[in-house]
Amino acid sequence: MKVDKESISLADLKEILGKETHRIGHFTSLDGGQLLALLLDPSQGDKGVKLYEIALENGINSYPSLTIKHPQLHWFERALFDMFGIIPSGHPRLKHLYLHEPYERNFFPLRRVPLPENFNSPIDRRFHFLEVKGEGIYELPVGPIHAGVIEPGHFRFSCLGETIINLEIQLGYLHRGVEKRLTEVPLKHMHFLAEAVASDTSTANALAHAEAIESLAEIEVSERSKYLRSIALEIERLAMHIVDVGGMSTDIGLLGIASAMGRLRGTALGMGDLLTGSRFLRGFIVPGGVRLPVNNGLTKLKGQVARLRHELKEPIAMFLDNQMALERMREVGVLKASLAKEFGMVGPAGRASGQDYDVRRVFSHAAYPHMAPPTVTARDGDILAREMVRIKEIWSTLDTIDRLLDNLPEGETTGADFSKVRLKPDSFAVGIVEAFRGELLHLVATDKEGKVARYAVKHPSFNNWTALAIAIRNNLIADFPLCNKSFSLSYSGNDL
Amino acid sequence: MLELLGYLLKQGVATSRDNFPDLPEHVRGLPIVTDKDCAEACNLCADLCPTQAIDLSEANSPKLDLGKCIACGLCTDACPSGTLVNDRRTRTARASREALISTRENPAKTAATKETKPSKPGLFQRSLAVRVVSTGCSACDMEIGASLNPIFDMERFGVTVVASPRYADALVVTGPVPLGMRAALLSCYEAMSSPRLVVALGTCAISGGLHGGGYSHSEGVDKILPVDIYIPGCPPHPWSIIDGMLAAKSLKT
Repeated sequence: MKVDKESISLADLKEILGKETHRIGHFTSLDGGQLLALLLDPSQGDKGVKLYEIALENGINSYPSLTIKHPQLHWFERALFDMFGIIPSGHPRLKHLYLHEPYERNFFPLRRVPLPENFNSPIDRRFHFLEVKGEGIYELPVGPIHAGVIEPGHFRFSCLGETIINLEIQLGYLHRGVEKRLTEVPLKHMHFLAEAVASDTSTANALAHAEAIESLAEIEVSERSKYLRSIALEIERLAMHIVDVGGMSTDIGLLGIASAMGRLRGTALGMGDLLTGSRFLRGFIVPGGVRLPVNNGLTKLKGQVARLRHELKEPIAMFLDNQMALERMREVGVLKASLAKEFGMVGPAGRASGQDYDVRRVFSHAAYPHMAPPTVTARDGDILAREMVRIKEIWSTLDTIDRLLDNLPEGETTGADFSKVRLKPDSFAVGIVEAFRGELLHLVATDKEGKVARYAVKHPSFNNWTALAIAIRNNLIADFPLCNKSFSLSYSGNDL
Repeated sequence: MLELLGYLLKQGVATSRDNFPDLPEHVRGLPIVTDKDCAEACNLCADLCPTQAIDLSEANSPKLDLGKCIACGLCTDACPSGTLVNDRRTRTARASREALISTRENPAKTAATKETKPSKPGLFQRSLAVRVVSTGCSACDMEIGASLNPIFDMERFGVTVVASPRYADALVVTGPVPLGMRAALLSCYEAMSSPRLVVALGTCAISGGLHGGGYSHSEGVDKILPVDIYIPGCPPHPWSIIDGMLAAKSLKT
């Protein structure tokens, strides 16, 4: 959707943040000369999306940090420093988020406004971990390369015996500079790169990209395309939720259930194949519509939904009936609702801690909120609650695909002809999507020639990583793999 | 426990009986150059390609670099002359960077290994232990996971994914190796004992794919390590991954 920018002062922003129950959608800058705050008020729907600009005085690249009052901003302010060299002074734990030793000290990739004269970054590139001191405390470093086949990240545990006292997470290993590249590639190729921000979330990324670009280019999308996009998004959710439950069974040691889930995920990926010709639904959602392959298997999808609904029942029932599994998950890695709200948590992990927030019911994208299923929430905030939310969402996702297929409107679906697409100059647009991990947001700004000047991505994991570090405190180190998996966090989506 | 055993027995064998079958008709594989003439003054494919994988500098002789291709299918959909078509074969791993370039004279270089069958039971069957290091967007990693599932079951071919580089024969790298991952990847390689193989899995690992050209120097593995086997695709199909592993196994001395 298109958003109009309102210029305010930092004092105004503080007042707005203090008074209202806003989520912070994004907090960044355009070129280093200002702050941009995208605030979301879920109770207002599409009208609740507001963009504020706070100009920074010429030659000044700092402002008083807001993190202490609004912990949601913790990582946003770190990213702002990393990418633009804007210093949130007084930030309680300011350190680099994305760019570490390999980069020069004063390299800020997205900054276009010159740095103040004689400026030298106050923080070096080495990551200084918080040290816990005391008798018997030891540090355990893990990563960036992990034992399994997963993405890289570094965990530094401070432990007392088997108990984790503190966990600090260093990410950024996968920083590919996607946001900068997105402003450099031609529009017709942009959606491929937007998808590859995190390819396990490729549909959601493509959808958020398309929604933003369509608003800037004033392209109408047919109802049929909207429904097909929703079907693709739900297939992605289905496949990934099945993987996540399967992964949990692997880590608990229920290999029989894990292999059954692996096979059933294959069926879900096969649905992606049928609809889009790609197991990861790549290249399906394009600005203007969708790209349906000639031999698509749209008519076969319904049968697959029924098959999965039937075949998933047994392994999931066995998983939830297994005392060992329940023991491992219950009351472990608990995150309280009050903290989940403070961190601005999203997705199944947020909903498992009582956060009643599902983008599908709030902001319009694809066939939502019209076709959105009811929000699934839980209260306990432990591993079991997160898995329960996922399992319930597997069922509601299957129902949603059925409903979308039953009500699929007729019409054209062809994507836009890029040779005719012109983006509105000096404008802002945002695509907000409920990816399988939660709220995914692409914010696109154009310059006075209608070129993309700033492309900002906020992946759901960006909101949730801190929550993992908090939830694991005072838990056993042996429970970390389970707890980590239950949050289902993306490294590449966070690292950009 | 009994319930689970009963369930598993009831499921029967999920493993695919065919090895390396062609992809179903509706699925996009990698494109391939045929011997058909290009339409006059046509440059649709090169214009559409998001990763500049198609070189049309010589008239009527397109060169398609599968090491850059992300299998988006735009070129094969647009090609008016049938010069570029969808190739549904799954044995796509190659033993050199040059072998990934498809031309009219040499549309698809031969597969990197002749081996296509699971290991027979018995003593002294060859095996390959691989250490996977992910430096990318996780789709390739998930397909490695899929190639270990009951449908593809890579382990019956003698390939195991191991947790330490110390006892690995091959280092499998996914993703474009951005600056941030370089030191970790090199230390993993140095921890392996010789002889050791390197497999570049996926288009990003081969050439940087969509991520090349930026300040993070995400240009692929062979900029920093010698690569023995290349598996193109974005991500490669599990069968292609198994093909690549068998090719690596055949190189093991």
